[in-house]
Amino acid sequence: MKLLDMTRKYGNATYNYPFEPYVVPEGFRGKPAYDYEKCIGCAACAVACPSNAINVKLNEEKTKLVWEFDCARCIYCGRCDEVCPTNAVMLSDEFETAVRFDRKNLLERGCLEVEYCEKCNKPFTTKKLIAYDLERLKRVGWDEATLADKTKYIHTCPECKKDITVENSTQYFVRKRK
Amino acid sequence: MKKGDNFISKVKEKITVHNIERQTEDQVTITVDRNDLPEAVRMLYYDMGGWLSSMIPNDERQLNGNYALYYVLSMEGGKMTIEDELPQEQKCWITVKTYIPANDPTFPSVTCKVPAAVWYEREAYDMFGLTAVGLPDPRRLVVSDDWPKDLFPLKKDAMDYRHRPDPVDHRDEPDYKFLEPNGSGVVDVPLGPLHITSDEPGHFRLYCDGDTIIDADFRLFYQHRGMEKLAENRMNYDQMGYLAERVCGICGYAHAIGCIEAAEKAVGIEVPLRAQAMRVICLEIERLHSHLLNIGLACEVTGNVNAFMHIFRIREFTMELAQLVTGGRKTYGNVVMGGLRRDMSGTEIKKSLELLVTIEKQLIEVWDAVMDDKAQINRWKGVGILDRQVARDFSPVGPNMRGSGFGRDSRHDHPYDFFNQLEFNIAVEHGCDVYSRESVRYQELLESISIIRQCFEMMPGGQTIIKPQTMIKPGAYAIGNDEAPRGENIHWIMHGNAQKVYRWRCRAATYNNWPSLRYQFRGNTIADAALIVCSLDPCYSCTERVTIVDINSKKSKVLTHKDLKRYSQTLKNHPLKNM
Repeated sequence: MKLLDMTRKYGNATYNYPFEPYVVPEGFRGKPAYDYEKCIGCAACAVACPSNAINVKLNEEKTKLVWEFDCARCIYCGRCDEVCPTNAVMLSDEFETAVRFDRKNLLERGCLEVEYCEKCNKPFTTKKLIAYDLERLKRVGWDEATLADKTKYIHTCPECKKDITVENSTQYFVRKRK
Repeated sequence: MKKGDNFISKVKEKITVHNIERQTEDQVTITVDRNDLPEAVRMLYYDMGGWLSSMIPNDERQLNGNYALYYVLSMEGGKMTIEDELPQEQKCWITVKTYIPANDPTFPSVTCKVPAAVWYEREAYDMFGLTAVGLPDPRRLVVSDDWPKDLFPLKKDAMDYRHRPDPVDHRDEPDYKFLEPNGSGVVDVPLGPLHITSDEPGHFRLYCDGDTIIDADFRLFYQHRGMEKLAENRMNYDQMGYLAERVCGICGYAHAIGCIEAAEKAVGIEVPLRAQAMRVICLEIERLHSHLLNIGLACEVTGNVNAFMHIFRIREFTMELAQLVTGGRKTYGNVVMGGLRRDMSGTEIKKSLELLVTIEKQLIEVWDAVMDDKAQINRWKGVGILDRQVARDFSPVGPNMRGSGFGRDSRHDHPYDFFNQLEFNIAVEHGCDVYSRESVRYQELLESISIIRQCFEMMPGGQTIIKPQTMIKPGAYAIGNDEAPRGENIHWIMHGNAQKVYRWRCRAATYNNWPSLRYQFRGNTIADAALIVCSLDPCYSCTERVTIVDINSKKSKVLTHKDLKRYSQTLKNHPLKNM
């Protein structure tokens, strides 16, 4: 009988969800929200993600860099949020992640423009990442000439940059020997 | 004299000890000859008050050309009487290690002398092909019955972790031999493959004389996921904690802490005090919601659905508490080597303290109401007796053990993290039955609330994470222990190359509780079977359907999950009546 009295005392214990929103506390770790405008395609989140929910890969035609998030694999640890330099991935307070019938509906994609190497014409990074780098370097406060010198190879892929460096140093040594 | 030296010198009197290695202040490993293994373990277990906490078979052929076995004993005193406990400063872990040459993978079975080793030695064969000579029960344990005979998954060169052997046609599938008692009039009641209360797979055979269970046997591991194989040589320590969390859906945080602390202890990392306090808080929150779940289910399985609903109403507050302090309804995704990733703010702590007041007040109220109900108490009292000698032989852990009058608690015996600085009582009951176990759980709930309060009060400021400066040392190993809601979890990690794990052994609390369950069933009725399993708070799963076989008339009857549940709750219309 005591239990029944208690039922009367506390009344309704359930929330009216889904007919009214369920309010989560501040700092709740919900589904990572992706902001395409801010994303520069640096892939830091993909490296940090412990459960491989985020993947960053070139598409098959090698024309676009695809940021892909699979919510079914996500464990809501928030590593992506921690490492993102531009706050393009941030944990939201959204927890309703159910989809109808098909797991593929959980996928979220963002395609970014790729930058081609000016020497070998291979895609190596995104246009937005280059723009982001340039903007950050401008803020350092170098004069025009230094900046131009420092960013000489910014449109070159790492492979070609290596070749150029090797070539330059060989020329230097050859010149010295003469 | 260092911790454990007194025990080792006693062992040395009888047995040649080849090597003594110290991992941490309270963890020592002694290497003995293969043939001396059973005697060494027996001496430590029965003569000096040890308990078998884990056993780790390891494939060390790449390191030294041999297999190795590590029997982990927790030295804390036999605890059969109150005086029979070691002083706090002598408690330690002693690991007995032995090498097994690769060309002769056999070893003398320890089970004949220490029954607690039975599951470990069966698993050693399944996973590594190491045969325990003289093992009374050499059936398969972990891998399925149709698993290829010569494929031992945890051998380093056996298989890729993605390999799945072709399933055998069900007609050719070998039958698992259940241990059957002989005699006329014995009725065989298979219970499974899904448990009524926890909805997880496990197959039980109850042998009944009329309504009374005279013996039982069970087959588990239907959900073996091969996590240890998955982690080896593949996962880094950023991922390990998150994988360990997924061992269990209820007490995963305790696994993450066990796993990460084993890795931390192996290389001697000290985490900041604030992180230690927060780890304890999260562990205790986990205990709150897990114990409430179990007490609720123990009411529900006996038909007291009203109490179940009230207890779950309170449980919701504990989930909200978890939401406040970690940002998720479960306390997951937080533990990494070197500390914790998420700090708590002042407002969160303030709100948590308010929630704790509500939880405590309503909890006492509901428990008093349940205790008022004589029908409920009668269903719990005298059921599922765990005999004290059986308990001493099989090393069970957690509330299962404490309900039988043994004050075994990892938080007290081997304090980790912040527990050195906290004051708390170990809840012990002496009834040995379901009632005692539930009562222990209730007392622990109140203790947990007090522990969380103390932690909030004493929690120092500062950072919650350090960068592990010490590089991982390949070959270093250690034990990580913690008291999960169901009992002590033991994780054992040996570091490998390139910041990866060489061997991870995860021993969940329930693993030590299963082998003694057979004795707990004996003498009880079919209606109580589900309740007894529930009172262990098992981490697996009861009965999608039950087949009842009368051996005499060769008649069988299939009961649905609902039928058995209805019978457990109402005790009317006996399922064997119309046979």
